[in-house]
Amino acid sequence: MSTDHGSVPNLADVQAAVLQPRPTPYAGTYLALRIDDRRQARALVQRMLPMLDSVASFDAERQVSLAIGFSFEGLRAIGVPEDSLATFSPEFQQGMAARAAELGDLGDSSPANWEGPLGSKDLHLMLVGLAPDTPRLEAILLLARDALRDLPGVATIWQQEVFAAPNEREPFGFKDGIGQPAIEGAAIPCTNSREEPLKAGEFLLGFEDETGSIAPVPQPDILGRGGTYAAFRKLHTRVADFRQYLRDRAADRADEELLAAKVVGRWPSGAPLALSPDRDDPELGADPHRNNDFQYGDDPRGLKCPLGSHARRMNPRDAIITGEVRLHRMIRRGTNYGPPLPQGVYEDDGADRGIVFAFIGAHLARQFEFVQAQWVNDGKFIGVPAEKDPLVGANDDGQFTVPRTPIRRRFQGLPPFVVNRGGEYCFLPSLSALRWIADLDT
Amino acid sequence: MSQQSLEQRFQGLPATVRQKVDAVIDDAKVALKVRVGELLADKDEVAEHAVTTAGRVGAKSGEVSELTAIMPLKPGGAERLRKFFKLVDGNLAGAGDVGTLHNMRFVFLDGDTKLLFATAYDGEWDPYIDDFATKIPEMMDHLFGNVEGWPGIHSPEVKDFIVQYQLPAEAWFVAHPNLTVAGATRLKRLDRTVQSFLTELN
Repeated sequence: MSTDHGSVPNLADVQAAVLQPRPTPYAGTYLALRIDDRRQARALVQRMLPMLDSVASFDAERQVSLAIGFSFEGLRAIGVPEDSLATFSPEFQQGMAARAAELGDLGDSSPANWEGPLGSKDLHLMLVGLAPDTPRLEAILLLARDALRDLPGVATIWQQEVFAAPNEREPFGFKDGIGQPAIEGAAIPCTNSREEPLKAGEFLLGFEDETGSIAPVPQPDILGRGGTYAAFRKLHTRVADFRQYLRDRAADRADEELLAAKVVGRWPSGAPLALSPDRDDPELGADPHRNNDFQYGDDPRGLKCPLGSHARRMNPRDAIITGEVRLHRMIRRGTNYGPPLPQGVYEDDGADRGIVFAFIGAHLARQFEFVQAQWVNDGKFIGVPAEKDPLVGANDDGQFTVPRTPIRRRFQGLPPFVVNRGGEYCFLPSLSALRWIADLDT
Repeated sequence: MSQQSLEQRFQGLPATVRQKVDAVIDDAKVALKVRVGELLADKDEVAEHAVTTAGRVGAKSGEVSELTAIMPLKPGGAERLRKFFKLVDGNLAGAGDVGTLHNMRFVFLDGDTKLLFATAYDGEWDPYIDDFATKIPEMMDHLFGNVEGWPGIHSPEVKDFIVQYQLPAEAWFVAHPNLTVAGATRLKRLDRTVQSFLTELN
């Protein structure tokens, strides 16, 4: 067995997708499977093990990864014993749909309106393939489908293609995927020289975390240690609504672009307002050594980057807020689905487009749910209880303030620009845990 | 005001309000019945100060929640705590770092065998317990370490431990239910700015 008992994670045992950044550009597929026969599901895991890379064996040239995750019902369906199931985090045991109130998944985003089978007890196993282009994605998916042959007891019940837009922008038109945290001992390059790498226990179960302790590990140890949790959500984006809202309130085209940047916290190129407050700087936006290398300490009032902007809420860095930023950092993987709305179009074309968002972290409650409840759908932590995240918050006649001298600008009547179509909490086991699952005899 | 005009005012209230008041405090003086009745009839006032729940235990009015707990002290615990409070002259100024704390108090009960801890704070404490623990862990453990069975601020059981000794307030009033600590700080800054602007204007 390759499990370690030291304080440094064994990167040869952690699934590559947990820590390796996704390729840019990329093509990907999410597959959801239902387990009707636990022995066949174990055979599938057994067949797939040789296809899975660890963080250590990940080929940075090929940039192809396949990941396996289980929902709580999935772990039960494959035969993980009940006394072991009881040791997983309570939020994971309940599943995402049951956490709708905590997550702000209400109205159009409520589980009653989700796309089937998301949110149901049928979603057991998630396979996620990511590659730099379609041919390489096809190649890995072919292997995955081959592993599923003659296993009728494992049914594919949902599939979602994701891909990078030609200009690598998310549906609202902004460069995405900047600002991942650096992790102690993970050998992933750090992009913010001012942020101390986070303790491994923030992202992997069984290691010391930022509170100075080791959180309870799902048992037995071989099952939990080196694994982590993921939350994925299919987020429909109302791009035309977003553009119309800005156009209706902007003085001219340049003001429209400025207002959009104030909402996001970055310019379309990815250049942060903190470094380039007045205009976009494509060279800065494209430079991975500079586009995340900044703090907010010199901008306490948010004159450059509003306190309530999306990017500043998602990572307040050194800004003064209620609570501790480092306890609520997360690995975020956004991938696009659906056709982009062409630039300059303000009318909705009826197409379904958005982001399949993925969170990765060892603490669903303290990281994902906290951020969703306190940073996205509340404003008390920055002293504005009346405001939510202007881009992704569950707004209903919402408000957003852009600090400015001598007088701030305030925008009202914000509608929701993002609707959750459904998602689930998953457990991403270590490779030795997957071997343990494949060898179950229950 | 005369007894008769109070009676008239009471009769002037909506019948549903009068019935509610009579059902519970029929034996009270009419002046009190009028006061309570008029309060109940004022829908805006009632709505602004509506009492909700702060989580597992505790009451919440607007953004402000209360936490009241009575915990058993270890032998000598009160003495150690008293020494500490004396050292700082009963002044817990550093607690402002938490950012959501309106007030808190420590009171010894039952011949120094129990500790009453009562506080008013913004929002819910459940999601922030880890933040408090990370911000001032030594302080939390030093103070509450004198409580019998304290599991340590980093223990996964610490929330359950506190809840176990928490007593829900049966009534809860906050003068400005929607004014958070951060909001008050902002208003103070705003007032300073306005005052200096007006001063310079003259």
